[in-house]
Amino acid sequence: MSRLRQRYRAREVALAFACLAPSLIIFATFFYLPFFRMLDWGRYKSQRGGLSYRYVGLSQYRDILTGPDFRDGLTHSVQFVLYTVPAGLVLGVLLAVAAHRPLRGIKVFQAIFSSTLASSVAVSSVLFLFLFNPAVGFFQVAWKEDPDMALFAAALPSIWQNLGLAFVIVLAGLQAVPEEVMEAARLDGYGPWRRLTRITLPLISPVLLFLVVVLVIFGFQAFAQIQIITNGGPAGASETLVFKIFRETQNYGAGAVLSVGLFAVTLVVTFLQFVLLERRVHYGDE
Amino acid sequence: MATSDDSRRQSTNVGSRLGVVGQYAMLVVLAVVVLGPLLLTVIQAMSPPLLYVDAGKPFHPVHVDWKDRTWFTGGALSVVLRTLVLLVVFTWINRIMVGWEWAQPRLATTWQNLLATVGATLAAAVLLGPAFGSFHAADGKSQWWTLLAMAAVSATLVPALAATDRSALAITLESVAVGSLVTGATLVFVGGAVWTQAWSSASLGPAMVRSLLMTVLITVAQVITAILAAYAFAFLRFPFKRALFAMFMATLLLPLEVTLIGNVALIRQLEWINTLQALVLPFTASAFGTFLIRQGFRGIPPEINDATRLDGYGHLAFLTRFAVPLTRPVIASFTVIAALGAWNQYLWPASVVSNDRYNTLQFQLRTIVGNNVADANVSVAAAIVAAVPVLVLLIAFQRQIIRGLTAGAVK
Repeated sequence: MSRLRQRYRAREVALAFACLAPSLIIFATFFYLPFFRMLDWGRYKSQRGGLSYRYVGLSQYRDILTGPDFRDGLTHSVQFVLYTVPAGLVLGVLLAVAAHRPLRGIKVFQAIFSSTLASSVAVSSVLFLFLFNPAVGFFQVAWKEDPDMALFAAALPSIWQNLGLAFVIVLAGLQAVPEEVMEAARLDGYGPWRRLTRITLPLISPVLLFLVVVLVIFGFQAFAQIQIITNGGPAGASETLVFKIFRETQNYGAGAVLSVGLFAVTLVVTFLQFVLLERRVHYGDE
Repeated sequence: MATSDDSRRQSTNVGSRLGVVGQYAMLVVLAVVVLGPLLLTVIQAMSPPLLYVDAGKPFHPVHVDWKDRTWFTGGALSVVLRTLVLLVVFTWINRIMVGWEWAQPRLATTWQNLLATVGATLAAAVLLGPAFGSFHAADGKSQWWTLLAMAAVSATLVPALAATDRSALAITLESVAVGSLVTGATLVFVGGAVWTQAWSSASLGPAMVRSLLMTVLITVAQVITAILAAYAFAFLRFPFKRALFAMFMATLLLPLEVTLIGNVALIRQLEWINTLQALVLPFTASAFGTFLIRQGFRGIPPEINDATRLDGYGHLAFLTRFAVPLTRPVIASFTVIAALGAWNQYLWPASVVSNDRYNTLQFQLRTIVGNNVADANVSVAAAIVAAVPVLVLLIAFQRQIIRGLTAGAVK
């Protein structure tokens, strides 16, 4: 142990910690401290306004995490992910395959397809809010008031907003596929459809996995579109987990439990993605 | 066998030759679908919604509120600003069409390219003024002024295109398409009264300044702290390195959504609600940035490090003169991605700003989406105006943004 320690030079160690200090302080203050305090708060029942607390122990975790509030929030979050992720994946592949060809002026189309990167979630939500306004919009539908359609209405701007990102990521994957592979497939008599499904998609599967991970994270984090378009309504039909957490920022006890629930869900989803999808994707070196 | 092979090859050749038009058609259809929501909302923004509902046709703007002025009225600053923006747009388009690089500014000063940039700007400025006035007066001459402006601008683009090896058809099509599109867009975005209306009624200016300040502070801080931490992880030897690195990366599992309640409570305890430091401080360190830049630093050959040590360079000199310049592409990508993320923040401002006077731009958009459908077009216009800074960023740093976004996807 003492020999190990001698390998470090005091000045270098001091410099290293000086370099790490700014980040460490921020991470400790705004990431770890709030998180561990929330683990503690979950055992107290708080009145709205956070003024009085009553110790209830772990029973609050059990009650909330098995209760309807958490279950509904989780269902809506998963539903939101199911609306946005497959659509983003399919449309991203469609646009990228369409724009990955040696045509004159293809750069213009690539710029147009990636242009939705310029809008933010708030911007695209405002655009769609009025596009689908039942009184004055182009598509006059009352989805906001329909409990079955409200969440889909909130997902639409995300689907559009994600087009640019999905396109850019898939295109980068396509551009990394060696031209000789496609040429060989063409000489073997593979048609465009078989080239796409048998060769291109398997080859870019790591990129597609990355895209799925990013889109799922975005889906679980969705907030602005829901606040702007439905504000959780009608009657909580579009309240996702994050929206419910935001609503409880005055109610530390229950909010903390919901947050820990979200943390657990994120962990499970991240784990599942890598275990389930990692097996099916093709990495070039194997 | 040979004949069938030949005929198949021939048929695919014919197919791909015929397919060029088909491919362009498909791309145009997809482009319209992607831009569709934007185009429809621009139309929607142009006219008061209740009036077009009365007219029974939401697809046709009615009673568009046009500005009653020429290009050269409305204050010296705004005239100069409008002209400059147009000049930049034409320069950018000319660069793309003719293909000179920013690194070769001399190519921009050939008379053909000057005509395409300065000439087009002047032509648009001189001819669009009467067009605004004519639209406002609804005197029936507006379409002629518009066509004249489009033709004049298109004509200025011809010599620059002709100097390249394009066919006469391509020159005509490109100049007409680009000339009319840019003139039309300028007409809509400068002539429509709704944009300035949105700017003032939504007080977008102050919100934009606050957002800009927040974005710059967060970005600069993130880049500096990430470079420092990455330097320590890549080049220095110190105890608990693995554990500390794991602690950095574990913050990726604690996104703002998870720690929101605890962070809001902390900001309340510090009495930082409605302050700039509340918006900035929690985001001044980045695990993603540290990881990305550390990867970049690790790509520097160790010989360079050894050689600079022998030459007597200290850590600071090595960092600023070698490590950072050698990883500039990575750092640039991260900078742009960090700026984009900071600018687009919504949940955090929504949580720690309680007074509209301190809203950032993205959150400000929500406050103007009232229930007043008569003003729906103004909030749509405000949203489009709010996207302009990011659009500029996207155009200027396209390569860096794409590299940053795909950093995790393609090794």
